[in-house]
Amino acid sequence: MSATATSPAGTGYRWLVVPDDPANEPSRDLVGGKAWSLWRMRSLGMRVPPAFVVTTAACTAWFAGGARGLPEGLAEELASGIRLLERGLDRTFGGAERPLLVSVRSGAAISMPGMMDTILDLGCNDTVASALAAETGDPAFAAEVHRRFTAFYGRLVLGCTEDLDDLPDLAAVRAAIAADGAGAVPTDPWEQLRDAVAAVFASCRSRRAIAYRRHYGIPDDLGTAVTVQAMVFGNLDDDSGTGVLFTRNPVNGAREPYGDYLPHGQGEDVVSGRVTPKPLSYLAEHAPAVHAELLRAADCLDREGRDAQDIEFTVQHGELFLLQSRAAKRTARAAVRIAVALVDEGVIEPAEAIRRVTADQIRALLRPEIAPGAADAAELLSTGTAASPGVATGPAVGTPEAAQRVPGAVLVRRTTSPDDVHGMIAAAAVVTEHGGATSHAAVVSRALDTPCVVGCGDGTREALLGRIVTVDATNGRVYAGEVETSAADESADEDLCRLTAWAEQAVSLRVTESDAEAVAPVLDADGIPPEELGERLPAIPAGTRTVRGALFTTPDGVRAALDAGVEVIVAPQRLPVLLAAVAHGGDAR
Amino acid sequence: MLQPYHLTVHTLTLRQLASAEQLAEVNGQPVPEVEAALEQAAADGAVRAARGNYLITPAGRELLDAMYPDAFAEIRASAAVNDAMDAFETGVNKQVLSLTTDWQTKEVGGERVPNDHGDADYDAAIVDRLGRVLDRAHAVLRPIADVDPLVDRFLDRIGTALTRAEGGERDYVSGVRVDSVHTVWFQLHEHLLRLTGRERPE
Repeated sequence: MSATATSPAGTGYRWLVVPDDPANEPSRDLVGGKAWSLWRMRSLGMRVPPAFVVTTAACTAWFAGGARGLPEGLAEELASGIRLLERGLDRTFGGAERPLLVSVRSGAAISMPGMMDTILDLGCNDTVASALAAETGDPAFAAEVHRRFTAFYGRLVLGCTEDLDDLPDLAAVRAAIAADGAGAVPTDPWEQLRDAVAAVFASCRSRRAIAYRRHYGIPDDLGTAVTVQAMVFGNLDDDSGTGVLFTRNPVNGAREPYGDYLPHGQGEDVVSGRVTPKPLSYLAEHAPAVHAELLRAADCLDREGRDAQDIEFTVQHGELFLLQSRAAKRTARAAVRIAVALVDEGVIEPAEAIRRVTADQIRALLRPEIAPGAADAAELLSTGTAASPGVATGPAVGTPEAAQRVPGAVLVRRTTSPDDVHGMIAAAAVVTEHGGATSHAAVVSRALDTPCVVGCGDGTREALLGRIVTVDATNGRVYAGEVETSAADESADEDLCRLTAWAEQAVSLRVTESDAEAVAPVLDADGIPPEELGERLPAIPAGTRTVRGALFTTPDGVRAALDAGVEVIVAPQRLPVLLAAVAHGGDAR
Repeated sequence: MLQPYHLTVHTLTLRQLASAEQLAEVNGQPVPEVEAALEQAAADGAVRAARGNYLITPAGRELLDAMYPDAFAEIRASAAVNDAMDAFETGVNKQVLSLTTDWQTKEVGGERVPNDHGDADYDAAIVDRLGRVLDRAHAVLRPIADVDPLVDRFLDRIGTALTRAEGGERDYVSGVRVDSVHTVWFQLHEHLLRLTGRERPE
């Protein structure tokens, strides 16, 4: 459709676009990226919950009118948009029977921080909650919908600054909103909708959004669209349910659908742990047609997205609705397998595959581990929480200064503070007596990719200091003496070898395990006393052709070397360095 | 309140092995004043110079520990400051650390794995939540910011880091070698602990 800013052609709407016609591709500038994705799923023949979009033109008009009332005619068009959703699902907005609830979300062509995220379950009030309880036969579910909606609305529309999401029930949320002086949630669903749309508009001038645009020189008048979409329910009857499907196994990357299905349940039930989901095979047994339709959609979205997808879906009265599809999360092992498989399937080129896997992921795969059985005979000195994985052996020292002085030291502290950071940079491993997986020590160690065990308890310093210890930070243990380790070999894995070959093609930097291939002049970062480095990378003298040392195997170090025109990096593991170079743009010249 | 000399020595507990420029960035003093303080402190044995970087010495730490109770007597006696600090520790500080952890690692099939930053929505949601926590931190720390001028400076620096993170500079969430959200938050946390005479709770 050739949509214009004032009247999306052929729809009769001035401010709305209904993204349901496969033949009419909506303009991303007008409807935002998320609504465009909805249209894309529709055009591929998939069923998505009915939706309409308030365009960015309406947002611009709202600001032009002084950010007060909605632009002329928008309230009426919102009403007709809602009628469309009502007809699509045979439900009624604000109805005392079969009520319609909607989600309201922002969407700009360029995604920007600070804009409002999604309000779910809008259209809820006491009447609607009762209707929902009667329809689903699940009053607890209806109460949870009402509580969540009120918390969303209180924070996002009323601007309540208190944390509302964790409050136990509706009364508590309402009390917190009142105590914050933020007003109350309107009982009229139409008023809720109009105010929510205005709140989405306003969010694109939020403090964070303005700071972002100022920093990056983005024009201030860039508006947002608002997508209003019907909520569907997986808990209406035994022919309903909700689930998630991964198009490839997220643990090992195998091309086989993998996922969970919750019959007669809603997403909230999974989150709250009220019920345990079943494997997808349950759906195959009980609703083979729906299962087959789901697999067809998954296959299509995997190909269309050119990557493994994580797909959320709901079955309502035996009808499959796709809610969202996005690039799936995955382990490092799965990332490698999926990237190579996509090349073999002809979906992506090798040059793209090497951008789908990060240096950190390869480092994680190649990380040494305690050799099988080697720990059995070792003396266990301490146990704690594994905060940053890896294994290291070295003398235990008690101060950051000692960690700088003693090569390969294990830094043992009660807790860490900012003036330990230079010692943590120099240390081979970090152990603390207090703190959990989200302590500062854990966060800094992970950023440095340094093995770290936290929360080993009082007395750990006395037990460890002065000894040679082996820290198994993958399992949260500290042993006396040196314990044998086994490291994965990057040249023994076919997928890693292929990624290495592709990465070598893509960068002019040479990465070698052997000092023999170094070309002079060489800068050896391991030869520089840590005290001279502080928290910085060493300066690379002009004309340096080769660098070596642990600092130059990190993404920061590789970037610095490339920027200084270095030709060769000597590193014990080649692929992480090559991938860091690829990520930096790939070319040393 | 700390005099400029002691403030500069104190700043070395927030950012060790730093240059005068880096210390000035943290404490907001003019660089020449920081340089003068460092020169004096080096002569007094409170700091040690290492090729243009400075370290606090054990004597420097003793000097500060002796200073704090008087310099911060009023702050430490304030009930409003005490309440704000409780709220900071149990609320926004925990949230920032847990969001930073979610930024660094994701749970896949029951194990925590490095975030490959392949899911822009996941990353954006975390950065967005960090923005909300920062807004809350402004409110929670108001009673302390009213009596200590550095607090707002830390919050502004965190805001700057967050803006860069929002623009795709991923290092600015938890990177160690840059003034990332976590780097500056960690400094702010240490500063508050020293101000209020509290122990690190973790």
